Amino acid sequence: MNGNPFSFEPESARAEVEAFRRKLEAGMETLKHLGPIELGTTPREAVYSEDKLTLWYFKGTKKPTAKTPLLICYALVNTPWMVDLQEDRSMVRNLLAQGEDVYLIDWGYPDGADRWLTLEDYIDGYLDRCIDVIRKRHAIESLNLLGICQGGVFSLCYAALHPEKVRNLVTMVTPVDFHTPDNMLSHWARNIDIDLFVDTYGNVPADVMNFAYLTLKPVRLNQQKYVGLVDILDNPKEVENFLRMEKWIFDSPDQAGEAFREFARDFFQKNQLIKGEAHIGGKAIDLKKITHPVLNIYAEQDHLVPPAASTPMGDVIGSKDYTALAFKGGHIGIYVSGRAQAQVPPAIHGWLASR
Amino acid sequence: MSDKPNDFIDQYQAFVRAGLETWSRQFDPASEGAAASPSADIMGRMFSGLSGYGDWIRSMAAGEPGAAPFAMGGVPPFGQPDPAGGSPYGPPGAFPPGAAPFGYGPPPGAAPFGYGPPPGAAMPQPGTEQFDEWAKVAREALSMPAFGLTREQQEEQQALFRAWIDYAEHYARFQALLQGVNDRAGAALRDQPVPSDPESMRSVYDRWVNLAEENYGEAALSDEFREVYAALVNAQMRLKVLQQKQVERVTKQAGMPTRTEVDSLGERLQAMRRELRHMHGLVAEVEALRAEVAALRAGKAPGKKAGVSRRPIAAEAASTGKKVAGKAKAVAKKGRAR
Repeated sequence: MNGNPFSFEPESARAEVEAFRRKLEAGMETLKHLGPIELGTTPREAVYSEDKLTLWYFKGTKKPTAKTPLLICYALVNTPWMVDLQEDRSMVRNLLAQGEDVYLIDWGYPDGADRWLTLEDYIDGYLDRCIDVIRKRHAIESLNLLGICQGGVFSLCYAALHPEKVRNLVTMVTPVDFHTPDNMLSHWARNIDIDLFVDTYGNVPADVMNFAYLTLKPVRLNQQKYVGLVDILDNPKEVENFLRMEKWIFDSPDQAGEAFREFARDFFQKNQLIKGEAHIGGKAIDLKKITHPVLNIYAEQDHLVPPAASTPMGDVIGSKDYTALAFKGGHIGIYVSGRAQAQVPPAIHGWLASR
Repeated sequence: MSDKPNDFIDQYQAFVRAGLETWSRQFDPASEGAAASPSADIMGRMFSGLSGYGDWIRSMAAGEPGAAPFAMGGVPPFGQPDPAGGSPYGPPGAFPPGAAPFGYGPPPGAAPFGYGPPPGAAMPQPGTEQFDEWAKVAREALSMPAFGLTREQQEEQQALFRAWIDYAEHYARFQALLQGVNDRAGAALRDQPVPSDPESMRSVYDRWVNLAEENYGEAALSDEFREVYAALVNAQMRLKVLQQKQVERVTKQAGMPTRTEVDSLGERLQAMRRELRHMHGLVAEVEALRAEVAALRAGKAPGKKAGVSRRPIAAEAASTGKKVAGKAKAVAKKGRAR
């Protein structure tokens, strides 16, 4: 290591690499003896299903105290089990513990039969029917809707289209302005020929989506993360936690082609939501029609939905009861970190309970 | 230990290589215990990452930080492989190169579509002057008109070949961009003041990762990156479309349904489903109105149960979905939703 500008000694470097190799070798035993990894641990029952979609109702250990049920609308990308990853990292479990009555939409894994599903089919179709099922089950006019990321955008659109069916709206890591300067995904998508892309792929493969996400931080997510894994290989519990997250990241659904086309073109490329130009199934999305109480939770270190993409929400909706809540963490940490478990569900419950 | 100064790095790399090979065997249906381990996938990704770490250590030992960390094993955006890989040109009837229709897919990081040079072509490396010259000549040759019974197929092949050249050029531009980021990250690391206390290799590595990501992030938000990235993706799609066209020709000849036909059926079916739902909605509304009229005729105000609107709730849902509340599918505590 002649002349290199780093202050490590060759002998200590040799010892370090050898120690690392030994640790890796020993850690193989841990990996060999792990069982299957499962996500979604909170007891639940399916109350409605249609095509690939399932509407889940969660069962807490005590009777809900909330009078209005809460429906979680997750994004189409990845599975919704990030909100119920494991027993001690579960937003759902913590919401139930707070007294909420929780439902969740699991969009399922689209295949070729779903290639022509549009945003209208998802928002004005599936989501609307799930909401009707819950309204009927509880004999209520409106429910509380919690949208996450792209599911947050769906929830905004839905609340604008059907304001009478939503009582309170909670959005988490939800973009409204897709053209902020720090939005890497949107920046990359801007010049891509989306029509050619969807016409070529049909449904957009999950691997393609994952690849795009990994290249947002390529060295950290493809290399450093696994170097760090070696440090915990002697701890099966830690490795299981790592694998659960890994499974969630890579066990992701393909994207229905037409819905992807519309979302990428109208939201990512044309930024129509904040401009008031978005349409779902030919119906204009006027965010000013959202006069419900709105709680917008964003993550300060979010590399997928930067805070600047989310914070303008208060200015573009019609609500006079808008609360923005900044969470110190990232796009995923907001659901699974220890701090998130302690802060986010109580904040949501407290906000809902006071309305 | 041998006298070779970096033998410990070789040993580490050999270990990682062996790990990768072991993992790759998980995907070989002929090998004993193929894909038996639930952690096979994670091992693949882990060893790929660790191999990169080994490359980094080697670069460090040579006093040159970081070797091409952004290309993810030579796979640029959306998984296009290095154009110098396999060939997209097979005889009519062949499966698309790189596809394993009845076997296991390629390991993570491997090229999903084996686009490569034309068979037998002694092709220079994309991104070099020689390639540019070669491409110019090839393009001219590929613009010649085709004749005879197979003229349409010939034109398709020519278009496919031209699309491949475009793709190779865009790929080279993208690689050059990433190399620039890598060089800048390395220079930034060298420019940092050397800590007075000896530091571990790992802490230097972590420092380097931070600088690499910082430089990458800056580049990735530039207009140039956006343009080069999109051009590469668009070039790959143009190539893929032409490849699919060739596959469709073969599928038709084999009397099998093509993707275009399946897509067409799917589109029509989805349109009919929407129309049907719309009609169900109208029927529900008519029924509700009829009930109101009947109530008015009977001299009563229309009944309205608490919490239920005039339009029957979930009328559409009832007609299209399955309400399973009555026979709720209980899920075991650790059940998996699919």
